[in-house]
Order: sequence, then structure tokens, then C-alpha cells
Amino acid sequence: MSETPRIALKAVTKRFGAETAVDAISLDIAAGEFCVLVGTSGCGKSTTLRMINRLIEHSDGEIHIDGQPIREIDPQRLRRRIGYAIQSTGLFPHWTVARNIALVPGLLKWSRARTRERVEELMDLLGLAPSEFADKYPAQLSGGQAQRVGVARALAADPEILLMDEPFGALDPITRESLQEELRRLQGRIRKTIVFVTHDMDEALKLADRLVVMRAGRIVQQGSPDELLAAPADDFVTSLLGGRDRGLKRAALTPVARLMRRVDAGLPVEPAVAPDEDLRLALSVMLWHRVECLAVVDGRGRVCGSLHLSDLMRAGI
Amino acid sequence: MIAGLAPSLSRYGRGLVPLLWGAGLVGLLTWLPRAEAWFRWLAPEAREVIYPRDDFAVLLLNHLALVGVASGLAILLGVGAALAVTRPWGRDFLPLASQLAAMGQTFPPVAVLALAVPSLGFGALPTVVALVLYGLLPILRNGLAGIEGIDPAVREAARGMGMSPGQILWRLELPLAAPVMLAGIRTSVTVGIATAAIGSTIGAKTLGDPIIAGIVNGNSAYILQGALLIGVLALTLDSLFEAVTPRRG
Ligand SMILES: Nc1ncnc2c1ncn2[C@@H]1O[C@H](COP(=O)(O)OP(=O)(O)O)[C@@H](O)[C@H]1O
Ligand SMILES: [Mg+2]
Repeated sequence: MSETPRIALKAVTKRFGAETAVDAISLDIAAGEFCVLVGTSGCGKSTTLRMINRLIEHSDGEIHIDGQPIREIDPQRLRRRIGYAIQSTGLFPHWTVARNIALVPGLLKWSRARTRERVEELMDLLGLAPSEFADKYPAQLSGGQAQRVGVARALAADPEILLMDEPFGALDPITRESLQEELRRLQGRIRKTIVFVTHDMDEALKLADRLVVMRAGRIVQQGSPDELLAAPADDFVTSLLGGRDRGLKRAALTPVARLMRRVDAGLPVEPAVAPDEDLRLALSVMLWHRVECLAVVDGRGRVCGSLHLSDLMRAGI
Repeated sequence: MIAGLAPSLSRYGRGLVPLLWGAGLVGLLTWLPRAEAWFRWLAPEAREVIYPRDDFAVLLLNHLALVGVASGLAILLGVGAALAVTRPWGRDFLPLASQLAAMGQTFPPVAVLALAVPSLGFGALPTVVALVLYGLLPILRNGLAGIEGIDPAVREAARGMGMSPGQILWRLELPLAAPVMLAGIRTSVTVGIATAAIGSTIGAKTLGDPIIAGIVNGNSAYILQGALLIGVLALTLDSLFEAVTPRRG
């Protein structure tokens, strides 16, 4: 990469008293990249994240945003430029949803009309009907709705960078998955630079352009989900990736379209999968129906190809 | 403390209650001097039945002034201290402040008065000092509870969004702590109304005067008059607090 990374950590260290929470970490994150920090509890993920918006001051090394050392930027101005969403949302309980979302635009002294327009735009974007939710208080929201408001608030002033600390960690599995789906879809549209912390490897694999595996304050390995699954650096990364379960995890990252044969040779329409579904699901369907070959059916219900177990085996998925 | 009196009144209705009690107080002030016939049966032998030494209005205003000054100081000091020890630069004193606030509840007001006399003499000054010291503690305690009770995640988010410490104080901490703080001030003022009456024993001019005189002269009519005025005054102020306490629903 020749251009300046949006966020650059250069040998960044954080010590709390005698304890070193983050130990000489170096990391470049490009503009528009979805970077996920993953690792066991207490390995320094949150500390790393919170150093980027100066909620925690780093002890050593340098952090740059667009080439500028963050120590040169006033912390409050820096934070207003960076979205921040946390697991417990931290919504203001005495403010309505609309007012919560308008927090940073308010700090930046946007006009009332511009703020209101932006709040409505974000509520629509996150699937919160303004007529229903704008005047509600946080206590009246479900966990998933509150987290959507938290994400909307983080995006309100259209920051280039979004920091998210286990934002979906407290949600039930179904809500969590649908929010992951939506965040991925959203990122496709808004292309922010996202640093996302989680200890849930499935979540990390699903969301990341780049995975950064941390252990005891250090980076153990980084790369695309595929790269890590194909060649985990050591036993720790292997076990974090699910050990012997990682064959299925990797299959879950690959769409059916990549391995399907275009010829459809008069297959029955059942059992079938869609081209944008993943190979893990396809394997499950094969197991269920005890077949080695599936029809691939597009959105209009037409057979557009076939998927063969033997191709999966050859591809080394 | 009389919240149960008007549980279903609207906001408008809640504002009406203190007005009614206030009107009752004024009514009492004008009626008492002419109510000899009503009190005679309590003191059939006495030469005077209605407390004669001071106008009730003068006693009431004096009483209110003492409590007003003392409560004003107690609020300033109590809220100020609660805010100070919850700032990053004052955190070191938080344990001390908490202990002080907890300890004060076990200390009877009469003891505070008795302690104030040797150093400050008799009259209004030691009464005010005792009222401030005693009234400070519930305000401090509730102030601390209100601010410490705020979800740390909310404060973390506020900082993370780029709010300044001043903005966090005014838009977050004070509004969220206000109901608990107000409850402390309410307790302090209501207790202060009653405690100020004890100031009469050390020479402050308060609504306690008729009560002390009544006890000394064995005149139950005086006692009842003082007690009535103190009671209605306390209820007026308490309902005023009830009316201004914010509630979210
Ligand atoms: N404010 C703090 N003071 C002292 N130690 C801290 C503080 N914040 C975090 N730590 C320590 O730093 C280490 C890393 O914490 P953290 O970054 O929160 O881990 P993670 O988010 O990966 O679970 C932990 O050992 C934690 O106890
Ligand atoms: Mg953490």
C-alpha cells in the first residue's frame, strides 16, 4: 500500500502501573477497511481501541490518523471525528432516541434542520422508523433496538472512523446475527474505516476484511479470514479459529457461486441452494438429503447451475 | 413525605397543593390572634391564652430566614462537596466524604446545638451553624448517591463522543442525579424546619418560642399554637418539593 493508512499504530504500548496491557503493537489500517481485533478476554483489545480515540493515553509508541500523530489533536475534537459504539450502548437515559442520535451533531453545532435530516436518515438506515422510535426513551427499547440507536449515534456526524467494542456482545444469537448482517450491508454502502473488537471468532470471521489476533497484549497474527483459516500461525490461533471445526468455518466464508458448475444437466429443482448462500449451508443440505449434488437456484426460481460434493473436496474447502 | 396525599394529581394539580398549604398557613396566621375562645379550654387558668410576646408572623419569618440561610449554605456546601469529590481531581476525598455523610445521620441535632453554644454563644448564629452542619449531611449523601449511581457506560459513551467535562456535568450528571439530590435537599429542609425550633432553647427567635414558653409556664395552648404553625410550614415546603421534583415516565 503506497497511500497513508487511515490509522497507523507504531510500536504502541500501554502500561497500567507495572502491568503491560498492550505491548509494542504495530498495525496499519487502510481507509475503508473493516478490521476486527479478536482474542481472549483481557488480551488488550479494548485498551487498543480506546487508545485510538484517546480515552486511554498510550504510554509509548505513536498513533497516527491520516498521518497526523493523535497527541497533536485535542482529545475532544478527535473524538467528535471518530464514531464510538460500546456493548452496553451508554445511551443517555433521560434523552429521547432522536436526541441521543443527535448528540455529536449538537456538539459540532450543526443547524437544527441539518441535524434533524441526518437523524431521520440514520434511523431509516438502521431500520428504526422515525415516527415510531424518535420520541422513545432508551428504557423503552429492546436490546437490539438500543444497539441500533448506539450505532446510529456513532455514525451521526458522518465520521471517517468507527470504533466498536463488542457492540453485539450482549444480544441474543438471533438478534446478533441479524445485526451482523446489517452492519456488513451497511459497510458496503458507507465504506467507513471500522475497528471492531470481539471475542467471538464466528462474528470476527463474518465481518472482517482483516483479522488481527491478539494474545497477552501482542499481535499473534493478522490477515484476511481466509488467509488465517488456511494457515494459522500457531496452536493458539488454530484453537481460537475453532480447531478441527475450522473446515466448516472456512466453508461458511465461501459462497456457493464460487464452486458451482454452470451446466445444469436437467437436475431436479429440489434439493437446492442459492448462489449467494455459503458452502457450510450447502454441506448441511447435502447431509440432510443424503445427496452429493445440489441444484443451484437463482432469485427467480430458475436452476442456474449445480454444486457437487466432489468439487468441494477438490477445492480443499 | 406527604407524597401519598396526592398520588393521582396531574402536574397542574401537584402545583396546587403547596398553594393550598401556603394559604392555610396565612389563614392560620390571621386566625390565631383572634382564636382565644378556641384555645381557652386548653389553659383555663392562664392569664393569656394566645402567645403574646411576638407576632406569629414575625416568628414565622424569622424561622424561615434561619432555615433559608442555613439550607442555602447547606445546599451550596453539600452539592459543591458532592461534585468536588466526584471530579478526577477530588476523587481522593470521596471515601472521607462518604463516611462523613453516613456518620452524620447518627448524630442528634440537639447535640449539635449543645456543641455549638460554647464556641459561638447564644442566638441565631449557633443555630444557623448547627442547622448547616446537620442539614449538610443528607444533601451530601444523596448528592454522592445520585452521581455515583449513574451507569459508568453512559459516562464512558459521553466521553467517547467528545463531550467536555463541563458538558458532561451539566447535560448528564446533574439532570440524572437531580431527583436523588432533590430528595436529599427535601429531607434536609424538612428536618431543618423542625430542628430550627430547638434554636429557641439557645435564644434564637423561632416558632419554637411559643412551645418553649408553653412548656416553662405549663400553658398547653402556646404549645399547640407553635406546633400547628411548624407543622403547616413543614407541610407547605414539603409539598413544594413534591411539586418541583422531576419525574420521568
Ligand atoms: N483502567 C485500567 N487500569 C488498570 N488496568 C487496566 C485498565 N484497563 C484495562 N486494564 C487491564 O489491561 C488488560 C487488558 O484489558 P482490556 O483491554 O480491557 O482487555 P480485552 O478488551 O481484550 O478483554 C487487562 O489485564 C486489564 O485488567
Ligand atoms: Mg474488552
